Amino acid sequence: MSLYILLIFINLPFIFLAITGIITRYKMKRISRRRASIQLLIWLFILMGLIVARPLYYWLFAQELTASDALSLFDVVQITAIVFLLYIVNGLSTRIEQTEKRLNDLHQALSIRLSSKK
Amino acid sequence: MRDSKKRVCVVIPAYKEAAVIYDVLTRTKKALAKDKKHSYEIVVVNDGSTDNTSSEAARAGVTVIDHILNSGAGGATATGLSYAQQYGFDVAATMDADGQHKPEDVITGVHTLCGSDVDLLIGSRLIDSQGMSRVKVLGNKGLSVVTYLLFGINSTDSQSGLRIYSKNALAQLEWKSRGYEFCSEMLWRAKKIGLKIDEFPIEAIYTDYSKGKGQSNWNALNIVRTLMARRISEIFR
Repeated sequence: MSLYILLIFINLPFIFLAITGIITRYKMKRISRRRASIQLLIWLFILMGLIVARPLYYWLFAQELTASDALSLFDVVQITAIVFLLYIVNGLSTRIEQTEKRLNDLHQALSIRLSSKK
Repeated sequence: MRDSKKRVCVVIPAYKEAAVIYDVLTRTKKALAKDKKHSYEIVVVNDGSTDNTSSEAARAGVTVIDHILNSGAGGATATGLSYAQQYGFDVAATMDADGQHKPEDVITGVHTLCGSDVDLLIGSRLIDSQGMSRVKVLGNKGLSVVTYLLFGINSTDSQSGLRIYSKNALAQLEWKSRGYEFCSEMLWRAKKIGLKIDEFPIEAIYTDYSKGKGQSNWNALNIVRTLMARRISEIFR
């Protein structure tokens, strides 16, 4: 199997999970339409990048715009690690933001409630 | 807004102000009692002070909300305004706890807001900056320029702590910043949700105490940095 095909297959689950996560969060009104659109665009861009990696490399090579070696197994592992980290970071940042807001709201409500009991 | 009798909540966020808060509150209570047109309740939000701020404020006979954790000026103001909204106040005002604001300016602001369709009224110390040091004038004007560049808000004193809020503003205004940068962010959020913003001139009283408590230029730099980060992160929201 070509390493380029392997690259797409290994990364596809993360991209699929990220895109379904964005759609779910948007439908459940946890993120705004704007934020969902931007995140979707980023993941679609990554997917496109992986799909066109092989033709792009050969085209650049033919045009003598690159002299680098073709994709190695190490490159596949490295790119997959980057995509995986992006997936994790994106999910974590959304969760941290939601938790921060809930904590602030809780602190505020608790302070007001305790003051009224004095 | 119709100019009938309104219930006004005066929110005073306080952090380690035990030395002056009793005097500030008694002076404010006395001044506000002179306004027979509206009724006022003073609410001090003690932002997790480790000194006697809370007990000193309670001694002055005002409502005290104690933050369990220190949340910053933005967080304390949000709690106070949330209290005003929950308890159905018609108008809210915020002023500093260090005594730099004159309570008479709060009354003027409340009257101005009640007689207009403005939702957020900013008490500007820089329309007439007499008594303010050149460094402070420069710092405040600089932050107003930054606020304009980042958020497109044209305010002569974007960092003023004396603000008057309509019921509409109380119901809709929300911000994320916890520190002093909330002043600029609040204006931006208000503009985004279509609230009408205006300014009125106020006089700031600078005592040795309030000068000592004032924001340093390093903090101003930190405000700029945080505002820029907020503006950039909001592009993706």
